[in-house]
Amino acid sequence: MRYLIMCKSLTYAQRASRALESAGIKAHLLKAPAGLMSNGCGYCVSVSPFDAERAVGLLRAKNLPIGRIYLKKSDNSYQEVKL
Amino acid sequence: MIYLDSAATSLLKPPEVLSAMKNAINTMASPGRGSYSAARLAADTVYECRELVCRLFHYDKPENVVFSMNATHALNIAIRSVVKKGDRVCVSGYEHNSVTRTLNAVGAEMLIAKSELFDREGTIKAFEKLIPKADAVVCNHVSNVFGFIMPVKEISELCRKYSVPFILDASQSAGIIDIDAVEMYASYIAMPGHKGLMGPQGTGILLCKSNPEPLMFGGTGSESINQLMPDSLPDMLEAGTHNVVGIAGLGEGIKYVLQNGAENIGKHEQRLCRFMASRLKTLEGVEVFYSEENQAGVLSIRHGSINSETLCEKLGENEVAARCGLHCSPFAHKSAGTLQTGTIRFSFSPFLDENDILNAFNIFKNLIICEKLINM
Repeated sequence: MRYLIMCKSLTYAQRASRALESAGIKAHLLKAPAGLMSNGCGYCVSVSPFDAERAVGLLRAKNLPIGRIYLKKSDNSYQEVKL
Repeated sequence: MIYLDSAATSLLKPPEVLSAMKNAINTMASPGRGSYSAARLAADTVYECRELVCRLFHYDKPENVVFSMNATHALNIAIRSVVKKGDRVCVSGYEHNSVTRTLNAVGAEMLIAKSELFDREGTIKAFEKLIPKADAVVCNHVSNVFGFIMPVKEISELCRKYSVPFILDASQSAGIIDIDAVEMYASYIAMPGHKGLMGPQGTGILLCKSNPEPLMFGGTGSESINQLMPDSLPDMLEAGTHNVVGIAGLGEGIKYVLQNGAENIGKHEQRLCRFMASRLKTLEGVEVFYSEENQAGVLSIRHGSINSETLCEKLGENEVAARCGLHCSPFAHKSAGTLQTGTIRFSFSPFLDENDILNAFNIFKNLIICEKLINM
């Protein structure tokens, strides 16, 4: 399972992933899966369930705009979550 | 060749610039176009360059660092975002056509803050009079013709006082004068990549501290269903494929500036400028536009009886690269009283030393002697 944090653009996703990495949180930058972005192509940062809450808190504390958050389940489906 | 035209393009560059460009053209695709390694590498390189720009300008928002084709492109975005038809825009008397032609195209009325060359206090007073009547202010940091360092901090503070948007043209100052983008009251700071930042031609930067409007429209690799440009930076202003090869080179150029310090580079160029000016002043018939204060490493001169074009052509034949004419800045020449004659401009580089300047000076001196003999 992974948590996907949607970002406004590639650059914001890069900034978010670097901010998380520098705080010791392993983060992967990914193209957002089809259907999760209402306007088409987008980017997200993927983090483990153990880090998700801290990651979201850190990005908010740094005023980095983030979009919706999804939980990627083991069957590859996505569920929106609130953190 | 002795290259004295760095105010146009810094031909002499750190070797890492070329290495990075070669590596980029061999290994990188385009940012945001895929998850494969060549696209990721391109994305990382472009983002790293945004961060380097932030470090150099003490800025904290890499997403507000927008890559453009050159300073002219960046200035067009900035001016067209701020200035509307009929607006009154205060400019210095030393602006480049990249500013004045754009303002003319927009239909703005220019209020020119007239001042004598190298007169810092007079410049501040002239701006002080006009800024309260202006809808916007655009000013270059350093004149590309005379190297006049404009009092932009004071001008920006006047803009802050009267809540007038300020656009800084850092074309000749980026990489040679320390600029604090946070401290500076400027909506936009525009600059080329291929001058003091040591990058290749075809690169430019716009630091956005305000909400711009797109100049170009097209693909961004994001929000593809939306037929409007994305509303966030940098995507809003970066339609189409990035100049990844150029940006890779630019990043290495900025690293060089960070390692050596913009102020140190600027001081070195000023030393060379002073060295050249002091020798040129010894030549009969040569008018040297030089000030001990308020001048960066850009030097203009003219000869009383030999025209600038002839001298520049002869310099070129003798492997000294300088630039003559009006330097795309008729306003600056009008302000300095050189519009009819133009000037020969020498501009300096961290990769030159006093020996290079002395050699260039001796060539110039001999040319003048030869021309005088021919015309006797």
